[in-house]
Amino acid sequence: METTKDSALNTIDVLFIGAGPASLAGAIKLKQLLNENGRNESVVVIEKAEKLGQHNISGALFEAEVLDELIPNWREDGSKFVNKMLANEVKKDEVFFLSPTFVIKAPRFLIPPYMRHSGDYAVSVSELVNWLAGHARSLGVEIYTGFVGEEVIVEDGTVNRIKLGDKGLDKDRKPQSNYLPGETLKARVTIFGDGSLGVLSEQLVDKLNLAGNRNPPIYSIGVKEVIKLPDNNNLGSNYAAYFMGFPNKASTFGGATIYSMGKDLAALAIYISLDWRHCDLDPQRELQLLKSHWFIERLLYGGEVTAYGAKTLPEGGYYSMPNSVANGALIIGDAADLLSTKKLKGLHYAIKSGILAANTAFEAIQKQDFSVHTLVKYRSSLEDSFVGKDLREAKNYRQIFSKAGRAGIYLGMPVSLLHKLIPMKLTTEPDYKHMTKAKLNRRYEGGIDKLTAVSLSGTHHREDAPSHITFLNPQLCTTCGEEYQCHPCEFFCPCQVYRFAEGKMLLSPSNCSHCRTCRVKCPHQNIQWRIPEGGDGPKYKMM
Amino acid sequence: MNYIVLVKQVPDIKNIPKDAWDIEKGTLKRALLDNVCNELDKQALAFALSLRKQLGGEVVSLTMGPPFAEEVLTYTLSVGADKGILLTDRKLGGADTPATSYPLAQAIRKIVKDIFNGNDNCLIITGMQSIDGDTAQVPPQVAEELGIPHIAYATGFSIKNGDLMVERITRRGSETVTPQGYPCMVTVTEWTKPFYPSFSRTRWAYSQELYRWNAEDIGADSSRIGLGGSRTDVVRVFSPQEVSTRNCIFEENLEKLLNMAKEAYYAEPASTEETAKAKYELPAARKGSYQGEVWVYAEQEGGEINSASFEILGKAIELASSLNEKTAAILVGKNVNNLASELIAHGADKVYVVEHELLDHFLPMAYKKAISELIANYKPQIMLFSATPLGRELGPRVAYSSKSGLTADCTELNIIDHKRGTQELTAVMMQTRPALGGNIMASIITKNSPVQMATVRPGVMKALEPDKSKSGEVIEFIPHLSESDLGVTITSSKLYESTVDLKDADVVVSGGAGLKSKESFERHIPPLAENFGRFLNQKAMVGASRLAVESGFIDHSHQVGQTGQTVTPNLYVAVGISGAVQHITGMQNSKVILAINKEPNARIFKVADFGIVGDLETIIPDLIKALNSMQG
Repeated sequence: METTKDSALNTIDVLFIGAGPASLAGAIKLKQLLNENGRNESVVVIEKAEKLGQHNISGALFEAEVLDELIPNWREDGSKFVNKMLANEVKKDEVFFLSPTFVIKAPRFLIPPYMRHSGDYAVSVSELVNWLAGHARSLGVEIYTGFVGEEVIVEDGTVNRIKLGDKGLDKDRKPQSNYLPGETLKARVTIFGDGSLGVLSEQLVDKLNLAGNRNPPIYSIGVKEVIKLPDNNNLGSNYAAYFMGFPNKASTFGGATIYSMGKDLAALAIYISLDWRHCDLDPQRELQLLKSHWFIERLLYGGEVTAYGAKTLPEGGYYSMPNSVANGALIIGDAADLLSTKKLKGLHYAIKSGILAANTAFEAIQKQDFSVHTLVKYRSSLEDSFVGKDLREAKNYRQIFSKAGRAGIYLGMPVSLLHKLIPMKLTTEPDYKHMTKAKLNRRYEGGIDKLTAVSLSGTHHREDAPSHITFLNPQLCTTCGEEYQCHPCEFFCPCQVYRFAEGKMLLSPSNCSHCRTCRVKCPHQNIQWRIPEGGDGPKYKMM
Repeated sequence: MNYIVLVKQVPDIKNIPKDAWDIEKGTLKRALLDNVCNELDKQALAFALSLRKQLGGEVVSLTMGPPFAEEVLTYTLSVGADKGILLTDRKLGGADTPATSYPLAQAIRKIVKDIFNGNDNCLIITGMQSIDGDTAQVPPQVAEELGIPHIAYATGFSIKNGDLMVERITRRGSETVTPQGYPCMVTVTEWTKPFYPSFSRTRWAYSQELYRWNAEDIGADSSRIGLGGSRTDVVRVFSPQEVSTRNCIFEENLEKLLNMAKEAYYAEPASTEETAKAKYELPAARKGSYQGEVWVYAEQEGGEINSASFEILGKAIELASSLNEKTAAILVGKNVNNLASELIAHGADKVYVVEHELLDHFLPMAYKKAISELIANYKPQIMLFSATPLGRELGPRVAYSSKSGLTADCTELNIIDHKRGTQELTAVMMQTRPALGGNIMASIITKNSPVQMATVRPGVMKALEPDKSKSGEVIEFIPHLSESDLGVTITSSKLYESTVDLKDADVVVSGGAGLKSKESFERHIPPLAENFGRFLNQKAMVGASRLAVESGFIDHSHQVGQTGQTVTPNLYVAVGISGAVQHITGMQNSKVILAINKEPNARIFKVADFGIVGDLETIIPDLIKALNSMQG
């Protein structure tokens, strides 16, 4: 409630949006450089979650070498996190093809290297974030949680200020007794690490037209469960498996992983590209269906789901990346579409991009030039790094599967092995355009139901807050139902936010886990998703 | 005016990760829960900040806890407090309420001396209770240690001619009180929307140095702190599942089902431990570790005894008979002598009537003084209070001033023999209570205390049927009181019209999304509630699931569940509610649960005692018909 009139408190040298691995790595690197050079510019990270790590989720099989240049001797830092991570190195990895009735284990020589996981570390990204934040704070990085950036203010083509979201509005957006108007933060450089479909980075791209002629970005959804296993379980430690096939139809690009996170804990994640055709595809249900497969059931025998979450993954790759540099602004991590589609990994890219952005920001501070002129160095260093190399090499990988159409993975899989040979830019369409009237008509009702899953995400939004999800044209939902003979959003939302009854769409925004699949997949692009009040949302601990 | 706000860092029980449950032990691994600022302490902070806005002064927040509790102080600074003090010392760990209250009081004395430069014109403000301990004992006991008045259940304030007027709720209404002097303790219940931290204030807060004090800094007497200074011992922690299991009975014959439900409604709570154990008998050859009568505080207001007092009297009689002792009721007030006969009819062997001009209205300081004098004179071995708002205000002060331990909100009391280390305890009272929001159960034994004291949750124990032919002794006692013992002045009071909330209903009938429309909700749920009320001759009210509220079937004040109200009626009827966890946590402690749903696999049936599967549009009219035909 109290605000101080001291504007110095709203003035920041380098501001990172979103306390994910990208921002925290960047903040650590930058503060290291500043400290080494005896400078005390302020480095601030703002995060919308109430506590660190609560909005971070990943199927994190982590290529940890990227930490070497960030935190020297990190392996010996003695922290609980690192010890756990080192203990959870993947030592055995396998790839399977599942049919509804049988299983084929891929022979080792056939598995492309990007599908191998030995040497990776199974981590919880929520825990990784807390560990990184500890390092960051000890260097002097300021991290403030529960604050939402709402608007990027651009003046004369330069990102100057970030307006924070209001707090204490009622359902009709009228101020309550504890109303707190969002302050405006002024920063010399703002580094956007607000993740896949980040609201602020999207605004930035729009306002400064950073999209250029890139392919429309495309996404997949990852739905994840953490499963507690009995002591003598079939999965074992230090193990990771990748699954293709069941329950996906050939035209649906996706897969699943199971990996152990210690001797009695497993992570199970399913990934489905959002260009699926079926209007009744329900990713949470698909995950349950996968678990009903005898092979998976055997692996996870005796397990109990203890946590649940969902996120989108930007998988457009090289040709979908926005220009990630503007006057006073850089975009890093998932927000910049930095993800290896082949590996379905973005964590190491995120951290690397954060480090590179920090190097550039430091240079800008030294030169006292925060224009594109200096900041563009970030883009070139990214291109020169392993991130750029990987992405360029795989630039058409994911697109092949889209092009393969109904033949899907059966054509896509073999052709994709040759993806490096395709010289031209394969274009793709936005995901929502792929929605058809075709139905899966799944009948399986086992596993955990969606509301139980939602409760396991811990998500919560203040009940009397304005809905952070709205429809541009509510009428359209009725027409959409007639068109598809179902309401696709009732299915694609992994957290049961949408329910059509009484002739209208009823929203339960409180269930939302912030994955934003709805923004991508609503066939009429009728859904508006804004960031809810700071502090609201899922409460991941082990994701 | 300056303000000291007592805050506590508590585990976030609104968000319990599934793996925090130790399945074998049925208990919670507290380390896996997030730590948050106790919600009511946020309300207290808002109270202090609002006062500061009008009266000026400084707001100092104080907490006692492990080093990481500084987080909660930083939060208070970010919302508006001026300074934060962390009282942290290993020696302070393991403390029960008196061993917490004493060092807090010492720290308050030091704040007044060092930070307010000896100016004790201040208010000490805190939340009514913490969500984890849920005892509501620390604030009254801090007030008792400081010898200052205490205004409980504050819901707002006004300033009249420079005087502070505090509005508070009482069981039967509300009153406005003003402190006779300062310092004064104010405990706050939910009264406003807690304030948000702003960015700039948060940034400032993180840059502030906190005061860190240890036991020595506050000059604490080492015999009165920590585990050693505690007057209660937790002897066992176990799962609430041990005491309640439900098995849903599906019955298509509605009349038969209603009969079973009615029987269950009136059945005594199946207290498994009690039925399993034979009644304790004090061996003739041995002497109990405690001596004296078994007392209950007979809560009267406006010449009427609270029915909860008869319940604890029923329990006291049972305990006394195990101990071969007499049961006595303590009746305090002005002109209350005539109520003694009611207590005797309910089984009291003796009634101590404590009367005084100044005891006309309940004020904790004066009542405490009167009762403490009585205890000093007659030395009971057990004293029970009802865990009503009044009992939770009075009990802690009485216990503190008579140097006795007090267990709050017990749901079970037994006499047992107990071995503590080398010490053999004979015929002591084991006090069992839910903690952490009902997520664990704890059994507690009093130590280092002349009297074993407990407050008992209303509705759990059973009163004896009154028998007017019983006789008993009435002992009159006149305490020594003066005006200055009142501490506060009641300037006005008013009784509520009956605007009770769901918590007071005996029967709650809730509708969910299964009802499909507002029209259907209104057509079915209120009449069903009315009919259940008439059938059981009890007060019935309408509740709703969150989906029903969100769909606009009814307003939010009826919402049951995590984000609505938590209810524990004797009968909960869930109509068209699938049973999301968020709903279940709000009603699972109801005595009898009847679920009606068209989906046989609905989760609601897992927590229900009785289930009806079918289409609501036909089931509900049939049910109403059955209720009607079975009346009388």
